[in-house]
Amino acid sequence: MTACIEIALKQSLGDAEASSLVKKADSYFKIHIESARTIHMLTIDSDLKTQDLERIRQEIFTNPVTQVSSLSPLEIDFHWCIWIGLRPGVKDNPGATAMEAVEDLLGRSFGPDEGIYTSKRYCLSGESLTRSQVEILAKELLSNPIIQQYKIFSKADWHPETGANVKPARVILDHTPCFDFIDIDSDQTLAKISDQRNLALNPRDIPVIRQYFLDPEVATQRQAVGLPGPTDVELEYISQARSDHCNHNTFRGIFKYTDVMTGEKTIEHSLFKTYIQQPTLALKQKKDWVVSVLWDNAGVGAFDEHNNYVITGETHNSPSNMEAYGGAITGIVGVYRDPMGTGLGSKLFMGSFGFCVGDVNYDGPLKPPLHPRRLLNGVIEGVRDGGNKSGVPTTFGQTLFDPGYIGKSLVFVTALGIMPRQVKGRPSHEKKTSPGDLIIMSGGRVGKDGIHGVTASSESYSENTPAGHVQIGDPYTQKKMHDFLLECRDEGLIRFITDNGGGGLSSSIGESAMISNGCVVYLDKVPLKYPGLDMWEIWVSESQERMTIAIDPKDLDRFMSLSRQHAVESTVIGEYTDTGKLHITFQGKTCAYVDMDLLDKGFPAWEFDAVWLPPAARGLTEPVIRRPEDFNGLMTAMLARPNICSKEWIIRQYDHEVQGGSVIKPLVGVNHNIPSDASVTRPVLTGNKGLAFSQTLLPWYSKIDAYHMMTCTVDEAVRRLIAVGGSLDHIGGVDNFCWPDIGYDEKTNPDGRFKAAQLVRACRALKDACMAYEIPLLSGKDSMYVDGHLEGAFGERIKVSALETVQFSATSVVEDILHCQTLEPKSAGDFVYVAGITADELGASEYYDLFGKTGANVPQVNFGANRVLYRAVEKAMGLEMPASCHAVGRGGLGVHLALMTMAGRLGMEIDLSQVPAAAETLSDDVLLFSESAGRFVLTVPPDRKPVFDKLAKGLPFRCVGGVTDAHDRLKITGVRNDVIVDLACADLDKAFNKLFGEMI
Amino acid sequence: MTQVKALILTGFGLNCDHETALAFELAGARPYRVHINSLVDGTVNLADFHILAFGGGFSWGDDHGAGVIQAVKLKNHIGKDLLGFVDAGKLIIGICNGFQALVNTGLLPGLDKDYTRRSVAITYNDCGNFRDQWVHLTANPESPCVFTRGMGQADFPVRHGEGKFIAEPDVLTSLQANGQVVFQYADATGSPADGVFPFNPNGSLHDIAGICDPTGKIFGLMPHPEAYNHVTNHPDWTRRKEQLKGEGQAFGAEETIGIRLFQNGVDHIRERFF
Repeated sequence: MTACIEIALKQSLGDAEASSLVKKADSYFKIHIESARTIHMLTIDSDLKTQDLERIRQEIFTNPVTQVSSLSPLEIDFHWCIWIGLRPGVKDNPGATAMEAVEDLLGRSFGPDEGIYTSKRYCLSGESLTRSQVEILAKELLSNPIIQQYKIFSKADWHPETGANVKPARVILDHTPCFDFIDIDSDQTLAKISDQRNLALNPRDIPVIRQYFLDPEVATQRQAVGLPGPTDVELEYISQARSDHCNHNTFRGIFKYTDVMTGEKTIEHSLFKTYIQQPTLALKQKKDWVVSVLWDNAGVGAFDEHNNYVITGETHNSPSNMEAYGGAITGIVGVYRDPMGTGLGSKLFMGSFGFCVGDVNYDGPLKPPLHPRRLLNGVIEGVRDGGNKSGVPTTFGQTLFDPGYIGKSLVFVTALGIMPRQVKGRPSHEKKTSPGDLIIMSGGRVGKDGIHGVTASSESYSENTPAGHVQIGDPYTQKKMHDFLLECRDEGLIRFITDNGGGGLSSSIGESAMISNGCVVYLDKVPLKYPGLDMWEIWVSESQERMTIAIDPKDLDRFMSLSRQHAVESTVIGEYTDTGKLHITFQGKTCAYVDMDLLDKGFPAWEFDAVWLPPAARGLTEPVIRRPEDFNGLMTAMLARPNICSKEWIIRQYDHEVQGGSVIKPLVGVNHNIPSDASVTRPVLTGNKGLAFSQTLLPWYSKIDAYHMMTCTVDEAVRRLIAVGGSLDHIGGVDNFCWPDIGYDEKTNPDGRFKAAQLVRACRALKDACMAYEIPLLSGKDSMYVDGHLEGAFGERIKVSALETVQFSATSVVEDILHCQTLEPKSAGDFVYVAGITADELGASEYYDLFGKTGANVPQVNFGANRVLYRAVEKAMGLEMPASCHAVGRGGLGVHLALMTMAGRLGMEIDLSQVPAAAETLSDDVLLFSESAGRFVLTVPPDRKPVFDKLAKGLPFRCVGGVTDAHDRLKITGVRNDVIVDLACADLDKAFNKLFGEMI
Repeated sequence: MTQVKALILTGFGLNCDHETALAFELAGARPYRVHINSLVDGTVNLADFHILAFGGGFSWGDDHGAGVIQAVKLKNHIGKDLLGFVDAGKLIIGICNGFQALVNTGLLPGLDKDYTRRSVAITYNDCGNFRDQWVHLTANPESPCVFTRGMGQADFPVRHGEGKFIAEPDVLTSLQANGQVVFQYADATGSPADGVFPFNPNGSLHDIAGICDPTGKIFGLMPHPEAYNHVTNHPDWTRRKEQLKGEGQAFGAEETIGIRLFQNGVDHIRERFF
């Protein structure tokens, strides 16, 4: 029997959710709703007695102070009612917690055919509302057909007794689980099957796969276990393992690079090995603090005598483009499993985000799956709920806008953990699986969700992309698992641990069994969300919140007892062996039996042609712009630009100080509203050491040359760390590449070769920068195919590629957090210094972009000079000479002086003619808006000036002005000795908050 | 028993347990992080402790109302133990999600010593969103709350989506008459915010940020005192340091007002129980 509880806020109370709907309807669609109310619904698919239903309604689901509820439809008046519910099989987190609460209160368990499902209905009042308007709200604002369904009721449609008449969203597959044999009689047949089954096998892999299965020795061994030919489980395993997402075929591929201008031809055998692995290993030799890199789920660096920190970064682009909230929450919760699965497991202590989206006010003809505005709201909320509910502070984050991201927007998520160096006398960063260890799956259950997520993210978005892989992360379940696993770790129960992410069990067990050299897995033991999954589906499902753990059988009882205490489901699903075979059974029958070294059997590397045309050869030149007259207007226009302006409303939605270790927050200054250079956190609360963390995204420079995009990105990340108190002695890096398709195709990707050359150049730059600043790459990921084929006005589909983008994250250990500094000038009378040289480097700058120009003079990094300068700043910071320090970034000196003025609420008087410049002839606009790398602005109190000047001797530090409390204005004198900028804090604030100031 | 023993609840999505434990430790107590299930199954006995802390977090994901399921579960399984703890004159503090749980159990506001009735609620912020910001608080000198003895003003962060305190007018009147309003959101001068955003970050009626029961021994608040466990937690610390430096003074050793709040609780136990 099905019952439904409807719950609403009392009429006398404001309904924030409904108010937000009214507001958005008006501002997005000009649809006027007079008033609205939200009703939360619980559909209970169970034969509970009426008295029990009444009890749970009153005791759990109704707050007597704020809510009204009923077992029949609430009588709330409307002109139109929209009901929104999840599609069957979509993760219903509140449904699951409702069930948990009901089971606990009533002391009974729900059977497999019972469940609780949540949904909502919105009661809209408005005489003028039409059905088509209400349809728009249902479709474009309240639901996403990928995960949700909706119903619309007019007043006349509504039956007061049946109400929305909600059926339980139960999954009924009505299918007997099985496995299939796959026909491999020819390459063509296998290629066809690969297409049909969405295996995404690379055509070049197909002969290797066939050859393996046709090998007589292999065939004989397989016959012995009852397998005449390859099974779908096996081919899925190979497909997952060989996908670009898991195997990084692009970065391990062969690039034939040609520079058209110089005629230089080089063969790159593996970008990963040459530009990431080799420099990182070389630096590991030099740097004691590098503990573990390049093999585990995340990199490990030393934090203090007793603890190591763990870091990794991920993207979750494809799913977020189709279902923003679900994709983003799955992304952040997913990346949080990586540190949990690094070494023997670490405790999460911070995370960060990077969002790259199209114009939020886009009103052109292209139809992305989700409008950028809606997409941005969704990803903000997804990362918010995922991060906040994990109890992990989100201490840093950036949001970027560029038209290219309308094709595919990017969602970067980064996770850091901390773990004791030793666990029960063993180094915590080492782990292995051994024959006889039990394979345990802990956490969530397995369903159809997420199947083929990995292969879908290895393709660009098209109308055929399967949407079924979108999931909704469950931070609650994962947080319970996190707490549980840390207890297991501390008791020494864990021998190996890894997460189930892309590829599910196929990847986690497939990879971990390589260490012991074999495994046997009983797929019928894997707990399912609902019956009816085929073996291959169980094997590759990406259902979230699961870890794979190896334990000694003698520890099983203790492990399971802790699991029960923490209300986490754990199941033994197999055993590691040393048979050399990946052996999978279902109810005693073998459904996969392949060699562990199958993936080493000569699968061919991918090959790319890379053709580089330097900017000049592409016709890029500097625009001709004469010196502006109205610098006040120009400054405020710059501050109001989407990529410069305040995003406080986003940052404040993230808990950035849970765990109590916040030292430098993401927003700083007197009014706590200016983005900080970097964050600093104390992961170990009993000490005074901190971890500084910064991130940089400068994709615009890729318009000119991705080499300089990369060097500038790394340089800025380093500089941001130095600005808060970090040290060049310890800088760890994480590279997250997001690149458009680089595979050349005359029709579908005619500029693939150029994009491939850009990738090669960015990798070369990464190595150059990392070697120069001695940054080992603790972790890194690549996400290729950031393109979209968007429908246009006439039904045509236009390919839109995102900019070649790298998010670079950097860490530094701060020995004494009391030396940390923030960017706002602190006292009147302090001197303002600019450190680092400004050159005419406006190429792809924010300033040029204001005029729709690109230019050619992209900023170039002088590593040698910068190193010396940064050491001097670091030393000054250690001696507490500067009273503020800020790295100059996007928008140049003009924008960053304005940010400091707004942050300090004091006047700043600046003389541009004193700015250290590459040439004496630089004009005011160049000095103000050039984005030359390697620069800081600092303030120094008069009593510390002599020592500071001594320290800065011979280096490009110049005193350019002072801080005053005579006014609160930014006054800038130009090179002609005239005051060109004179703006009060309030004017700057107004411009800075113009775009998003209304948002909270 | 010479140690003041503080029990900090953990599990089911709670998440401020480590820093809350640290805060108690810095305040001289011995903290015990205890999983809710250990109290439910009797492995740990509440009566062995002096202070019970309902910490921050997202218990049961905050689905179905923040702190609601936690309250139902505790009431259902250890309701009597909780009332016994209160009867013994011991202390309970609820922070953020813990405050939400306390009002949903009825332990707060405990009007007329009825510790089972829900008469106030903490609901969605007026701003419609989760929000992390530091707030100024002004403490009520008339309040019997043991945790805020001697306190004037304090700055702590709030980090919540559901922090708006509401109650019927008669309940509000009683709370005020009994001195049960402990903390109010304030402006920079320390005067109550009078509902003005963002000083009052959530639209709480009467700017209420924290209340206690009539005895002052059960205390709940939305802001996080445990998140101000170190001088560098305060968003203005780099400016304050420069200011002190300018005056020739050192910075860094002083106890924070966050720790003092816990200290007050620990001191109270020492006075009454040892």
